[in-house]
Amino acid sequence: MKEILSQVGEKALDEALQSGAEAEVFLMQAKELEIEVVKGQVETLKQAEEIGLGIRVLKQGRTGFAFSSDLSPVAVKQAVEDAIKISFLAAPDEYQVLPPKAEYPVLNLYDQATVDMSIEEKIEIARSVEHSALSVDRRISIIERAGYADVEYCNLIMNSKGLYAYETGNYCGIYIFLVAEDENDAQNGFSSMSVRKAWDLSPARIGKEAARNAIRALHAKRVGSGHMPVVLDPYVATRFCGIIASMVNAEAVQKGKSLLAGKVGEQVASSCLSIVDQALLPDGIGSYRFDSEGVPAQNKTIIENGVLNTYLHNTYTAGKEGGKSTGNAQRGSFRGLPGVGSSNFSVVPGFMEQEYLLDGIEQGLYVTEVMGMHTANPISGDFSIGAAGLVIENGVLSYPFRGVTIAGNMAEFLMNIDALASDLRFYGGKGAPSLRLKELSIAGD
Amino acid sequence: MIEKSLLTEVIGLAYGKGLDLAEIYVEEKQSSNILMEDNRIEKIHSGREKGAGIRVVKDYNTAYVYTNDLSRQGLIKAATLARDAIGGRADPQQAVIMGPEQKAPVRADCRFLDWEDRIQLIVEANQAARGVSGLIRQVMIAAADVQKHIQIVNSRGEYIEEQRSRVRLLVNTVAGNKGRIQTGYESIGGVGGWELLEQISLASMALKAAELSVRMLSAPPAPAGKMPVVMSSEAGGTMVHEACGHGLEADLVQKGLSVYKNKLGQKVAADCVSVIDDATLADKYGSYYFDDEGSRGQRTVLIENGILKTYLYDWLSARKDGVASSGNGRRESYQHKPVVRMSNTLIAPGQDDPEEIISSTPHGLLVKKMGGGQVNTTNGDFVFDVQEGYLIQDGRIKHPVRGATLIGNGPWVLSNIDRVGHDLGFSLGVCGKDGQGVPVADAQPTIRIKELTVGGTA
Repeated sequence: MKEILSQVGEKALDEALQSGAEAEVFLMQAKELEIEVVKGQVETLKQAEEIGLGIRVLKQGRTGFAFSSDLSPVAVKQAVEDAIKISFLAAPDEYQVLPPKAEYPVLNLYDQATVDMSIEEKIEIARSVEHSALSVDRRISIIERAGYADVEYCNLIMNSKGLYAYETGNYCGIYIFLVAEDENDAQNGFSSMSVRKAWDLSPARIGKEAARNAIRALHAKRVGSGHMPVVLDPYVATRFCGIIASMVNAEAVQKGKSLLAGKVGEQVASSCLSIVDQALLPDGIGSYRFDSEGVPAQNKTIIENGVLNTYLHNTYTAGKEGGKSTGNAQRGSFRGLPGVGSSNFSVVPGFMEQEYLLDGIEQGLYVTEVMGMHTANPISGDFSIGAAGLVIENGVLSYPFRGVTIAGNMAEFLMNIDALASDLRFYGGKGAPSLRLKELSIAGD
Repeated sequence: MIEKSLLTEVIGLAYGKGLDLAEIYVEEKQSSNILMEDNRIEKIHSGREKGAGIRVVKDYNTAYVYTNDLSRQGLIKAATLARDAIGGRADPQQAVIMGPEQKAPVRADCRFLDWEDRIQLIVEANQAARGVSGLIRQVMIAAADVQKHIQIVNSRGEYIEEQRSRVRLLVNTVAGNKGRIQTGYESIGGVGGWELLEQISLASMALKAAELSVRMLSAPPAPAGKMPVVMSSEAGGTMVHEACGHGLEADLVQKGLSVYKNKLGQKVAADCVSVIDDATLADKYGSYYFDDEGSRGQRTVLIENGILKTYLYDWLSARKDGVASSGNGRRESYQHKPVVRMSNTLIAPGQDDPEEIISSTPHGLLVKKMGGGQVNTTNGDFVFDVQEGYLIQDGRIKHPVRGATLIGNGPWVLSNIDRVGHDLGFSLGVCGKDGQGVPVADAQPTIRIKELTVGGTA
């Protein structure tokens, strides 16, 4: 595959150079497998092969971009022509530059054992997730979906400054969505796991966890409004971590769309909070050797003991501040220009076991589920989201609740964190341990 | 596009012995995007993509294979892979007899604009928004258009062709003052071309969004607690889509994941409430002639005067229930199998005067613009963000409030609507069920919900 992609890449660069433009070509080839089982039967089996290129040209500071899923010489030529034509219409921008040639760190992202595993074995993994969930409790009435998925990819980035970056990798995951029913009450349960190596998957653990989550939520009560301490479980804390990731994205910052603009070096969070972005984390789902424009990957601390250390940068945003890229250029596919994104972005865990976080809370909420998280506004920092979980009474978990909203502002949220547990868990490329907040506003009955 | 004879050959190969369906969906797509932010044209994209998805079904189990390789060799490889994955045996005797070609009418009146003209409109809109106030910190304007040409051939001998074009325009504004930031948002989109802008100009959309973000800066926080909520028709139908529509999709009903299961013929909403899904509305963002598995798009009355009449079906779920597809089998692209999806979903207009609905409300929240939301279709719980909300006191609109969310339960809300206006307002979006984005429009008249929990910080 490397040969084929390289040839197409060279052809595209040649076409662009002939028009007097600097250029970068991003080529991707991916294979995908997805298996969903219901009652032990394979309900959907999806297999896919995808290939494509994205070409970025730079002419007198003007950027043009085009993509194509057809890599034939005619189509590649067409894409380059489209990109050049478009570049004339874009505003010139002196910070639009291509990164130079570089050396890359060694990091293995390819697991041969996952590739060698047969489809039947992968179906068995999906079945085992479903089976484990059903075995927990007879109240697990519906398996909405249980599945296994994996992706194998090759990325190649070449630019007219001689940069050449090739990487191949794979990852896989399992997931389950289910429903527990009991006496006219139905509650959802969910769990998932993504890893680099299929043998690291724990289907039984994931199935059981989803089942227990649903059972635990049955016969939830409503709670009254007020201000009270709140403990977020790792899943919910990770969702908040996602909002923090968008607030430290230099693109958002430079456009005045982040609360954390202009706050580097300042105390923006409680001193117990540190956040890292580790692109070189072994076996991390968000790991890479080079970012989406071929800049070498690195690990960095974003927030250290509550002080904002740096934003996440690509070459463009770094150039604007006269700094260096942090290796955080990201693109979802060959269909877009590199933006800025996190790699493995996580809250550094504390030393306490989770149960100690509850100590001393007379009346509070342990939140295990949030709804409408995507409506939280990374710009203003305001959030007001639906929440469900368990009520904390006198330092221990009590009955389940649902139907309340928790509201606040991210700036206060960050300052309000007063303890972290040791139970760091990753959900894809983001992770967090359980977090305790001194106080949040709760709207209920 | 691909020769009919080759597609027929591929289907013949995929349609192994014992299979219920073999289908190929071919798509050729051209798209363009322009993004203006920070007072400059920041991104211009152009893309071309083509691919095919092959679906085979046996006993309600599906194998789906897609590829960008549209050569004869590539398609044959994909067809064989799909057939073998589902355990279908090759059967040269099992011929597919092709019926007549069905082609959706091609619109002749779509207006396309040059890159230069589009950029001109965007630049003007940016100036309009920036001119509203010195407090405007950022303006983002995006314009996207896409042209798709699809072919569907299946083992029932159907050959379907449709050309679709869509335009979507978005304006996002950010206003800031004394450390507080608020956003404004406007969007418009439809099937067709840029003639869409005859309804409302991009500049006036930008103006509206900018004014909203500035207004919300001085708004006090929304109150928290239970209160009557009036939803203006301007708010569009996001709530009916999320809190009711998904629960009426037959695949979710059949899996037992809907609050509306086993409720056909029963009263599920107030008498004044009717809910309709209509793919045939002219030029709406969720309209289509054929759905993405070749059934004709149609108008389906789901709830009539409070009584549940039917569900939305695609081919597979209709087969399970022994009914006809309602033309709601849709997919994002060749990379996805079709699933049951809404098109344009609306609460039908009623009798009441929208002004009078507000003036007869002693105290409550008026919602003029909805933001994002999330719904749990199993129990009907939902959360919505309110982009533009006002406090109603003594039947009058008192002042804007910021940071409100609505939290409630879909079926409960439909049963507790007590007033329905004679107006109708549309909102549009991209529905993301099963990780597949498809364009939809949602609509509602001005309605009043007797009581709803408002999440706020005051």
